[in-house]
Amino acid sequence: MNIWAYIIRRLLYVIPVLLGVCLIIFVLFNLVSPDPTLIMLGKHASVSQMEDLRRELGLDRPWFLQYLDVVKSAFTFDFGRSWSTKQEIIEMIKAGAIPSLTLSIPAFVISTFLSISISLFVAFFRGTILDRTIVFLCVTMMSISSLAYILFGQWFFAFKLGLFEISGYEFGFPYFIPYVILPVLIWVMLGIGPDVRFYRTIILDEIYQDYVRTARAKGLSENKIMFKHVLKNAMIPIITYVIIQIPFLILGALLLETFFSIPGLGGIVLSAINSSDFPVVKAMTILISVAYIIFSVLTDVMYTLVDPRVRLK
Amino acid sequence: MKKIKIFQTLIIGLLLATVVSCTKKTASNESVLNLAVSSKVKGMDPIYSNDRYSSNEVARVYEGLLEYHYLKRPYTLKPNLADGMPTVSADGLTYTFQIKKGVMFHDDAAFTNGKGRELVAEDFVYSIKRLADPKLQGLGYWLLDGKIIGLDEWRAKYAELPKADYTDEVAGLKATGKYTLQFKLKKSFPQFLYSLAMPFTFAVAKEVVEKYGEEFLNHPVGTGPFLLPRFEQSNKITYTKNKAFREKKYPCDGSPELKAQGYMADCGKILPLTDKIVVNIIVESQPRWLNFQKGKVEYISVPKDNFEAAIPDAKNLDPKFVEKGVRLSVTPSLDVTYTAYNHDKKLFNNVKLRQAMSLAYNVEESNKLFYNNTAMPAQSVVPPGIAGHIPNYKNPYRGSGTPANIEAAKKLLAEAGYPNGEGLPEISYDCPSSTTSRQTGEFFKKQMAQIGIKINVITNPWPELQKKITNRNVDLYGIAWGADYPDAENFLQLLYGPNRSPGANGSGYNNPEFNKLFASSATMQDSPERTALYEKMYRIAAEEMPWIYGVHRQSYTVVNGWLKNYMSTDFEAGQGSYLRIDLDQKKKLLEKF
Repeated sequence: MNIWAYIIRRLLYVIPVLLGVCLIIFVLFNLVSPDPTLIMLGKHASVSQMEDLRRELGLDRPWFLQYLDVVKSAFTFDFGRSWSTKQEIIEMIKAGAIPSLTLSIPAFVISTFLSISISLFVAFFRGTILDRTIVFLCVTMMSISSLAYILFGQWFFAFKLGLFEISGYEFGFPYFIPYVILPVLIWVMLGIGPDVRFYRTIILDEIYQDYVRTARAKGLSENKIMFKHVLKNAMIPIITYVIIQIPFLILGALLLETFFSIPGLGGIVLSAINSSDFPVVKAMTILISVAYIIFSVLTDVMYTLVDPRVRLK
Repeated sequence: MKKIKIFQTLIIGLLLATVVSCTKKTASNESVLNLAVSSKVKGMDPIYSNDRYSSNEVARVYEGLLEYHYLKRPYTLKPNLADGMPTVSADGLTYTFQIKKGVMFHDDAAFTNGKGRELVAEDFVYSIKRLADPKLQGLGYWLLDGKIIGLDEWRAKYAELPKADYTDEVAGLKATGKYTLQFKLKKSFPQFLYSLAMPFTFAVAKEVVEKYGEEFLNHPVGTGPFLLPRFEQSNKITYTKNKAFREKKYPCDGSPELKAQGYMADCGKILPLTDKIVVNIIVESQPRWLNFQKGKVEYISVPKDNFEAAIPDAKNLDPKFVEKGVRLSVTPSLDVTYTAYNHDKKLFNNVKLRQAMSLAYNVEESNKLFYNNTAMPAQSVVPPGIAGHIPNYKNPYRGSGTPANIEAAKKLLAEAGYPNGEGLPEISYDCPSSTTSRQTGEFFKKQMAQIGIKINVITNPWPELQKKITNRNVDLYGIAWGADYPDAENFLQLLYGPNRSPGANGSGYNNPEFNKLFASSATMQDSPERTALYEKMYRIAAEEMPWIYGVHRQSYTVVNGWLKNYMSTDFEAGQGSYLRIDLDQKKKLLEKF
């Protein structure tokens, strides 16, 4: 089947998925979420002011008209303004995405590269004391709360040793660099434990396959077996795991962003949820859903590239 | 192997070089006030400044008719953009202000030739109509709701129409001359003047609002001491000094105790006293604390987790901070924490039950556990520092965990009809979902168990708790109230029957005697008679125990030695222009950091 036809067909799935996403967030917001007017007006809310505000926000209109608005914004990407900050949402997202990405992309690239390398290394020495030690270390690292890494890292490396900025962010290259080094390092530390264990399992699954025995019987070197054969065959689950994380990179890392005062999207989403700021929550959910679909299509396409046996249907 | 080492060294060296070279530097002779705030700022439109963070930022750029005297306690209003205090008609209903002449708006492209024009009385008429504009839904309309003749009607009229017409006159809000502004009130409301010191009513220019439309909130153009060309929601806001600011001087009069503390050293100096203000938004307490310890911010409120390290005996700063020139500023906050009963539930109409629960609650212990013993146990609803609070009054139903208290509580509970809690259903206690609130809930549960009352602690996200309170879907809930203005009315209204939820009286307490006293005091000017009424209500609120009172908190702020004129206050708006950085001292002290 033509790859383009496949891509177009998959992308058309965006339509029903988005309709469903709109319905879910609309229902959740209207049934579960507290009255936004109460939160916006705060401690001085009165019945008449709440009614006025509901009218201005359009919350007194029939529900299907409100749902249509959600659908409309999902397809036009015109999300309007935040109820809480009155800022234009698309501008808020643009402004928040840059700091989030300057933190998440380097962290993601470094941690993926490091984790795959370490897992190949431990798989190579599988069953030895080295393998066990590294797995033990990974489990230990996973067992420590992420908050502990952040609190300790900030206190020790930034405050005690003065190697990095304690918190803050400057827009523009290269000014942001000093502010993101420490959070990136912490992110990498946080990711290595689970990632190494995951990749190691995948690689070990491959190592015991028949074709590896055949390769060994042919007299190929261990290096060649690992890098040429095992890694290539392990790529499918790895690609799935890696690519599907990409859409979420835009959200940054909430805890890291708040502790290091990085004005990213994580913080924007959190404060929107806390203030029942429906338009912002809606915009972010829709954008992430669209990105998720696009990247899952990309994953499928990548499969065909790394493994010619895979055919798109 | 050697190659790898060289490579490693190179990478580390490069990283460090980047860190050092990329940090933006500021000129060392520039007087920069570095502040740290713990919450995001929404925008710079005065009508939406309903939290202290937004209102503090708005007040750096915008100004109002009145302001609090910087050096007078109790808090006293003084003219700011008004040229003198208003003349008030004999019936207390008409307030006439003269506006200062020659006050200029900041330069902006919205004005002819980009030059800021002079402020006139009509600007206040426009700004206050904006607050009332139903299309804009300003968050401070509660201030004026039901107060100014014709304003509610104006608001109601345009709620139904697509757009509000600002040329449509409001009888009670008029510019009677270029510099004369007149307010006519529906009924006497002595707290009205406080509204004019709140950022909600600060002056904006019509041209700027019209030019930027919905983006106005990102283009602050006021008459204030600092300039911010464009607001961006970020982690940092940088203001520069308004060089064209009118001649406003640091006060030479004030309360004797502040004079004795050296707050008048800058008497007569032209404001603002700094070239720049950098507001850093640092939500978490650890980075705020670490930045303070590095001398990167001038002052912060001591985070709870660092309290013992900073103030080991709960009174004095640790010597290691004193050596660095850090000082401690302790100020009572105008607030009260409390556990409210839902008075809609018949169960809580039983005064003896309420008194018993209050007696069983050990407020001293809760002060130790949750406030490092720094707060003051509340005896009733009004905090100290404002008229209406009765100093040294001891609430007979306040418990401190003594066996006598518990015995008395048990006795009251039996009199209420529930000996040892028998016959009482399990009572739910709703609180916000923060760790401290949950701990407070568990503590409350333990206290009530002493007299046989079963409590079920329910934690809620903040919006959910608000919803439950409004829908009367709670038994008990833990909450706090901070003053909007320094008048006991602002606290007493929390127990005024007609203010029931979704108004400020979330507990739904409704006592005809209290309501009558409140209604009488509401129209009285500040006077011994009004204070007497306030005190009567204070006593009723103490004896009736409509809530279980918690504490009045105190703010503990650590201040770096080079920052001059700082004192913590409940009304920070406008404070930035009075603060000064002693650059020489900063240089010397920073060597010790």
